Amino acid sequence: MAQPALAKGTLCALRQTIARIEAGQSHTETLEARGENPRLPLGVEAFDEALSGGLMLSGLNELRAPFTTDCGAASGFALALSTLALERRDMPGLVLWIGEAITGREAGYPHAAGLLNLGFEPANLIYATPRKMEDALWICETALEVSAFAAVILEIRGNPARFGLAESRRLHLRARASRMPLFLLRQAGEEEASSAHTRLRIEPAAAAERLRPDGVPMSGTIGRPRFAVTIEKSRNPAPLTVLLEWNAHERQFSLARTARPSRALEPALSRTPLSASAERPDRAQTVGSIVAFERAS
Amino acid sequence: MDEAAEAAGLKLGQGVTEARACIPETEVIEATPNADRAFLNGLADWCGRYTPLVATHGNDSLFLDITGCTHLFGGEHAMLRDILSRLFHMGLDTRASISSSPGLSFALAHSGQQKIVETGHEAEALTPLPLSALRLEEETLAALSRSGLKIAGHLIGAPRAPLARRFGSHVLRRLDQALGIEEETISPRLPVARFSAERQIPEPITGEDDILALAGQLAATLEKSFDAHGLGGQMFELALFRVDGHVARLNVKSADPLKEPARIARLFRERLAGLHDDLEAGFGFEMIRLSAGLTAPFNARQRDFMQHGKPDLPIADFAARVEARLGEALIHVPAMHESHIPERASRLAPFSGATPPAAATLPALIRPVRLFQYPEPVEAMAEVPEGPPITFRWRRAQHRVRRAEGPERIEAEWWIDGTDTPPRDYFRIEDEKGHRFWLYREGLYGRTPLPPRWFMHGVFA
Repeated sequence: MAQPALAKGTLCALRQTIARIEAGQSHTETLEARGENPRLPLGVEAFDEALSGGLMLSGLNELRAPFTTDCGAASGFALALSTLALERRDMPGLVLWIGEAITGREAGYPHAAGLLNLGFEPANLIYATPRKMEDALWICETALEVSAFAAVILEIRGNPARFGLAESRRLHLRARASRMPLFLLRQAGEEEASSAHTRLRIEPAAAAERLRPDGVPMSGTIGRPRFAVTIEKSRNPAPLTVLLEWNAHERQFSLARTARPSRALEPALSRTPLSASAERPDRAQTVGSIVAFERAS
Repeated sequence: MDEAAEAAGLKLGQGVTEARACIPETEVIEATPNADRAFLNGLADWCGRYTPLVATHGNDSLFLDITGCTHLFGGEHAMLRDILSRLFHMGLDTRASISSSPGLSFALAHSGQQKIVETGHEAEALTPLPLSALRLEEETLAALSRSGLKIAGHLIGAPRAPLARRFGSHVLRRLDQALGIEEETISPRLPVARFSAERQIPEPITGEDDILALAGQLAATLEKSFDAHGLGGQMFELALFRVDGHVARLNVKSADPLKEPARIARLFRERLAGLHDDLEAGFGFEMIRLSAGLTAPFNARQRDFMQHGKPDLPIADFAARVEARLGEALIHVPAMHESHIPERASRLAPFSGATPPAAATLPALIRPVRLFQYPEPVEAMAEVPEGPPITFRWRRAQHRVRRAEGPERIEAEWWIDGTDTPPRDYFRIEDEKGHRFWLYREGLYGRTPLPPRWFMHGVFA
């Protein structure tokens, strides 16, 4: 007698599950409804809408730099996201950056003064350099238990066979269980099927000119960092590229105007020979063109 | 030289040809001092089971300071018997003596005597011994022997001033050391830990779990001493004495002082996991010792009750666990220093617990987010000699410069680099695709016979 009753109960539960799925309520959404899966809005409407509210703050998000030269931008973007994640916490936290040994040699090591320029306090960073992929994954998994970390950045190079679907799934589930944002920073990697909730392609974009205090742009200067962020994988099927500008002082993203800087791509010979001096007012431009120099001795 | 050779009349210091002439069937085996040395060190490690104070002397002698250790082995006689029988079973021919001074023990053992000299009987034990057992140089021995002084007894009664004048004061010093008049300390090979606990295991163990369980028990013993002193350990060593005499040492470190047995055992678990199969248990370990090399005051902290059901791991524990498993120098924090040279201004310092390094006060200039450890040479073409490049080739890719900021000149630090190091002119560069780089030109035009070179030093966000 008990057996059919049990089967009936199971069937009923399954029907309810199907009904929920058909009504568009997936597991993640139920989590969100309970307020357990917060999102990280970047403050740019077009971007946040495409990601239905922002980046998932628990679980794996992939940031892909297509080439090694894009790594500066990708790491800057990852650090900017970490800054936002740090600010959302109600207690002080740290960010762990795990870079497999080769990633630092190929794309450089984090530079404290440069972190400060990005608005990221260097004392909040812990940088781990495991020698092997397995070690990196082990550290990452251990770090997800540490509540002092506000975010974990795992940097890998290319598409290693030892970081496949199974590994990314495992990390994603671990990160989701401990409600920790985990950013996978992929250097010079192809698009690859993974368990990441979202995958963003990060490329640098031409920066705007720096503004003088009176709001006039100084020609030839390089202003705030700009990123061309393409949503490659998300629940929203349409790929979207957004130009984001990171304001290190305000610690917020803004949508960049797509207008090109005033002096883009002039023929090389017609440009003024003197560049803007670093962080200082531009020197007076020379009149006319220089034909010959005096002898240096 | 073995016993057979000695019996046949060969002597140390004899030429091979001469020895062959005496006894044609002489077999020559080349000496391997390094291997002998390593063997003696291994033996010293093995002797660590009797006392932590073990020193090596020369190529063939060991000093063991057994003050206060003998009762653990049933007295001096039992201890001496134990040492000798164990060494005999390892296949070693040894002589050992116990006395109140290292000099006398050395003299007794080196003249082939094995005995225990009670305090107060040093002089009569030393009297019949040859002077060669007193650790003197060859020339001094030869001079003494020419004067008819052959045994220690000749020196003990002799007037001291003429002896010192003729043969040097060290003869008397060695004599006094042997007699125990002058204090002599041995210098132990390994530092002695303040806290240690050990256990003899009647049935040798091989399993990882057994080792860890024992380590946990020893840590529990240590915890009591830690509690009594209000300390915690920062460096732990687990010495595993294998049945065949080999001693394996596992070290773990922690930035935070530790005393909970579970946390200490956890670190050793990671260490063992990191070793994989490098730890050879062989026929098993018969003794295991846990010692705390470095201690620090332990600040008891109350744990947070509000964990919200999340597993939590303190950051220091995390760092200790990672370094125990994967090796040291793996976790870094960016630290700033007062320097204008970029690679000196910011370095990756090893993680050292809770105190973050103080920020240096430097003018806020724009710096790249990632800096290359070694600047990479680029082929650059500049429009004007002192200006920024128009195009450059880095890692086999050509980049066309769209905008450049600079130069920012950074002179070499002459107090470190010397006065010959050329200055660097740094440029912030944005190429056509928007990549932002930090390039510098090393040197100035016209100053050196070679033209200045260009380097890539970092990338901006």
